[in-house]
Amino acid sequence: MLQFDRVSLDESTDALRAEVREFLGENQMHFPHPNSDFVTGHDPEFSRKLGEKGWIGMTWPTEYGGAERTFFERYVVTEEIVAAGAPVSAHWIADRQSGPLLLRYGTEEQRKTYLPLITRGEAFFSIGMSEPDTGSDLASVRTTATREGDAYRVNGTKIWTTDAHRNHYIICLVRTEPPGDNRHAGMSQIIIDLKNDDVQVRPIANMAGGEDFNEVVFEDVLVPADRIVGEPGNGWEQVTSELSYERSGPERFLSAFRVFVELVRACGENPAPHQAAAIGQIAAHLMTMRRMSISVAGMLEQSKDVAVEAALVKELGNNFEKVLPEIARLAVPSGPEAAAFRSTFEETLLLSPSFTLRGGTREILRGVIARGLGLR
Amino acid sequence: MDTRQLILDTANKIFTDHCDKKLLDAAETGEFASELWGQVTENGFDQLGSAGSGTELADMFAFVQQCGHHAVPLPLAETLLVNFWCGPQEGLSSFGELSGDRIDDVAWGRQAQRVVGIGVEGSTLTVVETPEVIGRGTNMAGEARDQVSVGSDATTVEATEDPYAMAALTRVNLLAGGLHRVLDLGLLFATERVQFGRTISKFQAIQHSLAIVAAEVAAAQRAADAAVDAIGTDRFVYEVAAGKARVGEAVGVVAEQVHQIHGAMGFTHEHSLHHYTRRVWAWRDEWGNEFYWQALLGNHLASLGADNSWDFIATRG
Ligand SMILES: Cc1cc2nc3c(=O)[nH]c(=O)nc-3n(C[C@H](O)[C@H](O)[C@H](O)COP(=O)(O)OP(=O)(O)OC[C@H]3O[C@@H](n4cnc5c(N)ncnc54)[C@H](O)[C@@H]3O)c2cc1C
Repeated sequence: MLQFDRVSLDESTDALRAEVREFLGENQMHFPHPNSDFVTGHDPEFSRKLGEKGWIGMTWPTEYGGAERTFFERYVVTEEIVAAGAPVSAHWIADRQSGPLLLRYGTEEQRKTYLPLITRGEAFFSIGMSEPDTGSDLASVRTTATREGDAYRVNGTKIWTTDAHRNHYIICLVRTEPPGDNRHAGMSQIIIDLKNDDVQVRPIANMAGGEDFNEVVFEDVLVPADRIVGEPGNGWEQVTSELSYERSGPERFLSAFRVFVELVRACGENPAPHQAAAIGQIAAHLMTMRRMSISVAGMLEQSKDVAVEAALVKELGNNFEKVLPEIARLAVPSGPEAAAFRSTFEETLLLSPSFTLRGGTREILRGVIARGLGLR
Repeated sequence: MDTRQLILDTANKIFTDHCDKKLLDAAETGEFASELWGQVTENGFDQLGSAGSGTELADMFAFVQQCGHHAVPLPLAETLLVNFWCGPQEGLSSFGELSGDRIDDVAWGRQAQRVVGIGVEGSTLTVVETPEVIGRGTNMAGEARDQVSVGSDATTVEATEDPYAMAALTRVNLLAGGLHRVLDLGLLFATERVQFGRTISKFQAIQHSLAIVAAEVAAAQRAADAAVDAIGTDRFVYEVAAGKARVGEAVGVVAEQVHQIHGAMGFTHEHSLHHYTRRVWAWRDEWGNEFYWQALLGNHLASLGADNSWDFIATRG
């Protein structure tokens, strides 16, 4: 599991990369202020443009609107977009997580309904896992969905739900049966319509000045029974496999990338030795993590189980996203010439506490790795 | 099975049989491991990567990783590279850093029949046959590092790849193998040592420490392989720079955490952990430390400019 195979991207990806860069160049107006944190920019129009290019759901079957391209091609597109600092938050979860979940576990009807919309950039999804009393211990969720004829009656509260106030759907982890001896049994995932079902969404301001995550309250919300994802009771298996899709991509080590770009700019053509070393130190980390992430894309291409490898990439990546600004700040002198660096740096530093929390905390990931090492 | 795997399996078997604590202790007091050297040459492991050997440099560096994993007390990486540069020859060859009319830090210079001096800059190698040893020393791991004089009969050879970076690449690969061994020892100890009625591997603090180490080791491995893959490309020196910088940074973390896991036992001379940790501490400083290589890489990126930095990072290989 510590072997990240040597994987090179195919020559054919060069043309795709060039095409993405050209597209980004033509769409600069969507990100006058680039930010590589994938949560920070929600721009439905930009997402729709990506959908038109066929860059959402790229690896999915064409019958569901996908482009049947490889995981490597998807990798190239996502890393270019994230590195450029373009706004991706609107479609990101649907593309990375909800779509693959529906593809693997959803009913045929669900696939036909949602996947084509996702690939066109017309259906955006949120993740409804966390609750006020449920963080890392995800199996403790209390939101219930009780069967009543053709519907489920949903009651409970989800929290920290990114973009619930802007997106179309939320896939919630709920209890369809009361907890028993096996605490992982009796859970299901259900698709709830954030625009049409009777859901209350309240944005929560974050410390960086943004309003991206929310509290989502369900009071006797009636949801058609056919919105249960796959089999009722299979929620735990689904949710754990879903989490591993989201752990190894370029967004897991590039969140602070724009700070690096501004560092290089601020240091100029002839950096002092300590400035050059700061640039080189960051570059060495980024080059290595990127290759590890591509190795995982190669494993996904071969349909291998990547849970532990993905956790290793996220462990390295998220920690380094926090270290990057720390290295950079010491290399740039204060003063008006460094204004561009300062603003990018400060914005990223304020976002940085979230890097090792979202998608499973550092501590939880270390547990996943330790299990892979045979320690638990 | 492919050639490389065959080489690695055979080497692993020989090294597992020979490179025990007794041999490492003896080597660190200056005793040359002649029996092991005999086994190595018998199997042609001193010619890997050289013309006519049927193997490539990538096979050679994979073998060097094995040497690091077993702390093989022979200058095999040095012999192999000199054979590659100057043509294979029987007997031990080594290299060190050229400094005026001396070559410093020559691994096992006292045993060498041929020594190459490498400067920080340029691609010209200084070759000294039947060298005269003018000083004996060791690095902090007790590995022989001698001083050799450059006489008037020294000759020169042109290297195709930057020789200083090639020398650093031997350390990158030794380190990747050595760091993996340190992790293995940490895992072994943690699953055997019992305190509070259970193996210490059941404590979350120990699990997290080993998870951190595993991530560093995985990164070191990937960085080392990438630097090897860059041989023959115009990125070679920068990929070695990234590799040496990244792997060197892993050393501090891995050695510190795994010593902590071993408690007092790991601080004894009797336990073998220090044979590996002292080596990784020594190797990270040989042929350019992290700062040296970070600055080299950073200067290159600065010369490309901020808006080209992503293009430099986003390579295909
Ligand atoms: C920006 C942002 C966006 C998010 N978006 C979403 C979203 O869209 N949908 C969603 O469902 N959730 C979302 N989350 C929530 C995220 O998944 C949780 O923050 C995360 O799972 C941790 O839960 P918690 O915050 O309740 O912390 P807790 O679980 O209460 O943990 C607090 C601390 O205790 C540690 N800890 C907990 N258990 C253990 C243990 N067993 N061993 C050791 N240490 C432990 C944690 O590592 C952490 O350091 C988001 C979070 C952030 C910051």
